[in-house]
Amino acid sequence: MVVERDHHGFDAPAPLGHPGRASLPEGHSTGPEIGERLPDFTLPSATGTPIDYHHDRAGRKSVVVFFRSAVW
Amino acid sequence: MYAISYDDQETLTEFAENQGVHFPLLSDIDSKVIRQFGILNEQVTRNDALLYGIPYPGVYITNEEGMVVAKFFHDSYKKRESPEFYIDAALGQLNLDENAPQVSGGDQDINLTIAVHGGNGTVRQGIVRHLVVRFELPEGLHIYSPPVPDGMIATQITIQGPEGFALMSPDLPATEKLTLPGVAELNVWHGTVDLVYPFFATGELASECRPLDVPSIDIKVTVRYQACTDRECLLPKTENFTLSLDLDVIDTPAIDLHKGHGQREGNYDGTSALKRLLGRKIKQNPLGLPIFLAKTMLLQMGALLRRLQQRN
Repeated sequence: MVVERDHHGFDAPAPLGHPGRASLPEGHSTGPEIGERLPDFTLPSATGTPIDYHHDRAGRKSVVVFFRSAVW
Repeated sequence: MYAISYDDQETLTEFAENQGVHFPLLSDIDSKVIRQFGILNEQVTRNDALLYGIPYPGVYITNEEGMVVAKFFHDSYKKRESPEFYIDAALGQLNLDENAPQVSGGDQDINLTIAVHGGNGTVRQGIVRHLVVRFELPEGLHIYSPPVPDGMIATQITIQGPEGFALMSPDLPATEKLTLPGVAELNVWHGTVDLVYPFFATGELASECRPLDVPSIDIKVTVRYQACTDRECLLPKTENFTLSLDLDVIDTPAIDLHKGHGQREGNYDGTSALKRLLGRKIKQNPLGLPIFLAKTMLLQMGALLRRLQQRN
């Protein structure tokens, strides 16, 4: 893979314009805002157990991370 | 802590075991929750094969009621917080790392600490660290935030690093109003004051794609301030500090794609996960992979042409 530097000054092993380098456009929503309650959702954990987020955190503070992939 | 991605459960199991992850990794295989949050990366299409369905990466911190108290999203997927900042946001206070570089100044009355916070103070491309200027002022003394009338000294911090050392907007605590009748209305800080200057390295300084030019860098910090009581002021002071920070070695081209390509830590070999991911995406859109490969090849050729033009 060819290495190119983007307009932020970051190097990555992919050409400019590659979809893997597509970043958040200016003005795009970043989801729930500060002061809003995170939506209810249920997703399977790695073991397959359904995790109901708000139920699972049981009144505790939480950190919710959206990441791109564990594969690549 | 919950971490959500479009990976399948098997991948997350392997990843968690290999990397020693003990918090829930949640499998949003069809990106339903990513869409529900409104953070699907729509620039990646069904014809981008394995990439389709990824979010714009980001982090939410909630309170006990599940309300967002802080969130972290950036204009580049390469910019990411140090994990310590999530803890700070959840606790609502900044706890400096004992292992990160720091220097002290001030005098017998005023403690001044210049510290790097996050990742033990190491520097790497895109990863945000904090340079913290901490004043600990005794009862009765305050310092000023700009603007101040002529003749008074506002707190002024100057930070200089090498090429590729990028400073972001500072995060300054709220000030209190101090009215000196007939003189001015001033904005002051007192007690423990943390002036936080986020920074990161660009590829110029710490590329992930070539060996480092230097093992460490010096950051020069100048702090000018004047501490006063409500009645009188101490002499203005200017203090200079130098912090030496190590650069993290990350040689992405030496790391295979299936080992994370330098985008993450550790040695998880995701070859089988990559095959499953590709299989899943091909099933959803059989033409996606050939289109994606052709597009990538064209983009690569474009990049090679640009490189040739630059050489000439």
